[in-house]
Amino acid sequence: MAYQLYRNTTLGNSLQESLDELIQTQQITPQLALQVLLQFDKAINTALANRVRNRVNFKGSLNTYRFCDNVWTFVLNDVEFREVTDLVKVDKVKIVACDGKSSDYFSHSSLIIRPRLFLTQ
Amino acid sequence: MEQNNSLPPFQGLASPQGAMTPGMPIFSPMMPYGSGLTPQPVTNTNSLSLLEEQQRQQQQQASSQQAGVPGGLGQTPQLYHSQTVTTTTLPGNTPLYTATPLTPMTPITPATPASESSGIVPQLQNIVSTVNLGCKLDLKTIALRARNAEYNPKRFAAVIMRIREPRTTALIFSSGKMVCTGAKSEEQSRLAARKYARVVQKLGFPAKFLDFKIQNMVGSCDVKFPIRLEGLVLTHQQFSSYEPELFPGLIYRMIKPRIVLLIFVSGKVVLTGAKVRGEIYEAFENIYPILKGFRKTT
Repeated sequence: MAYQLYRNTTLGNSLQESLDELIQTQQITPQLALQVLLQFDKAINTALANRVRNRVNFKGSLNTYRFCDNVWTFVLNDVEFREVTDLVKVDKVKIVACDGKSSDYFSHSSLIIRPRLFLTQ
Repeated sequence: MEQNNSLPPFQGLASPQGAMTPGMPIFSPMMPYGSGLTPQPVTNTNSLSLLEEQQRQQQQQASSQQAGVPGGLGQTPQLYHSQTVTTTTLPGNTPLYTATPLTPMTPITPATPASESSGIVPQLQNIVSTVNLGCKLDLKTIALRARNAEYNPKRFAAVIMRIREPRTTALIFSSGKMVCTGAKSEEQSRLAARKYARVVQKLGFPAKFLDFKIQNMVGSCDVKFPIRLEGLVLTHQQFSSYEPELFPGLIYRMIKPRIVLLIFVSGKVVLTGAKVRGEIYEAFENIYPILKGFRKTT
């Protein structure tokens, strides 16, 4: 079972809104919508793991941090995201990071932790 | 050893007295100078300071025999009187006057001559304290709702929380007990612990502030000269442990006060194990003359 982390993203939210509309108009069942979301989770996780190669550096000041249930949550201020090509500056960024190697429902601890970051503004 | 320098004023006065112990110079290295258990620094040969120390010890006795000490000359005969008494008593008998540097002292205090203080004050670097919040806590709630908290129950059964002012870290346990580390003073440690207690209280727990206690204090300072650690471990082997292959510092376990000092070749000293600030200061004042005796001269 993949992380449901990516549902609260622009892409994930758009999907959820569309599914809600379809449910409203009785075109699909809520059960089907749930299956769609689960498939979305799997797809987005594998896509990010296998099809994304670029690297972004970021630097900022740490406002708060939290570690609970193996999930790190950071809030940074005055952050600069640098990619080879360009630079983006932001006042506030919240980072939610889950453990890279092990999944939600597997409780064994992983040897290497490569957190996959998903950034929300 | 510097002890062999004779003291003209004493000897000048000794001759008419005739009360001096025959054949036994006052500052002979053969004297039962602490039975090897007391860390003793090299004697201060400042005759005046020794005289003052003798007087101080005599005054501490506050014995009636010493009533009405006249100034100046009158003191010297008394000094000789006490010395005669102490050198003729057997070790183990309580001498009439307090133990002078010439008698076996209780082997717990490194004796210091009456020299002026070092002028160096150790700076406190870390204070560890504990407090009982007096109620059971739900660590997961605290970790989820408080800021700057870590909770990984698989690794450690406490929430690790940090605050910026005073810059400290707290370990908060589900029993309601808390450890606060990193403060630079006793007041700051107490203030930080109160701040953590307030965080927990604001999350809805009936937190109290019971039995706040400072458990450990760490201080450090610099004597500003290099030290011969090998020499120190040879003479103070009951207190020192020095394994340069293991750790570059000499570990000196002082008995009174019960403080552990890490002494480095550079002259830097770390003092730890104190429950009160005074113990750090006292330990440093005790070790400083000893370290001066092992100053590197090259």
